[in-house]
Amino acid sequence: MKMKTEQYIDNLIRREKQMEPNPFLSTRVMATIEKSQQQEVRKVPVWQAVVLAASIAAVAFLGVTIGNSYVDNASPEMVMNINDSQIENLGYYNFADYE
Amino acid sequence: MSDEQLIHEILSGDNSAFKALMEKYQLQVFRTVVGFVHSKEDAEDVTQDIFVKVYQSFTSFKGESEFSTWLYRITVNMSINFINRNRKNRLLQSLEDIFHKPSGEKTPMEHLEDSERDHRIRKAIDSLPEKQRMAFILSKYEELPQKTIASVMNTSEGAVEQLLQRAKNNLQKKLTT
Repeated sequence: MKMKTEQYIDNLIRREKQMEPNPFLSTRVMATIEKSQQQEVRKVPVWQAVVLAASIAAVAFLGVTIGNSYVDNASPEMVMNINDSQIENLGYYNFADYE
Repeated sequence: MSDEQLIHEILSGDNSAFKALMEKYQLQVFRTVVGFVHSKEDAEDVTQDIFVKVYQSFTSFKGESEFSTWLYRITVNMSINFINRNRKNRLLQSLEDIFHKPSGEKTPMEHLEDSERDHRIRKAIDSLPEKQRMAFILSKYEELPQKTIASVMNTSEGAVEQLLQRAKNNLQKKLTT
């Protein structure tokens, strides 16, 4: 019984050892390696991404600062004068008066 | 070309030297992986991952041990990681093996009995404690001498002998009950 079990185990191992890998396995591996190398080359370095993010943040901050620094100097009186009905004689256009 | 020369070429950026090294060792790696995963497709996938890992880790190979020993260490570790990751799929696959094998000259009943026996043996090998399984597979599938197995497993030859004896006894026990 013990002998037979050993034979069965050896038989299974012998059959599994007869399996052969795909003859193109090495080509497949080389392609995977080359692909990963190309991806590495294309990858943007971390410092470049950090510099880009910092530049965008600085520009946005500068925009907000400049926007906040604007002071509106127009006085309320001057605003009143914008209504040109006070400075222009509308009666001039009254057709009936000059006919 | 010797391993040392090939490694030197690889480190200086020659990819064809790596291909030559891979072709030299791929069958050994593949056979060892088969011992762990018992399937051609899975063994090919794991072998591919192993060689990609080897290529990426070449700078960490100090040459303190032989290249083949270093390669076997990576092979064993990655095979065990693969098994641990795919436990569930492997159960389904082994059930498929029982019911969907092409019929040969044997009767369906004989065929089913053979498949069932193979399944029990694979399960018994897979259920061995990790160190016993490593020693058993390196010894039976790769027929490595105990000295080489000891250096792959970072242990003594005596310990490997004990592991192999225990593995054998455990398999007998599991398969006769």
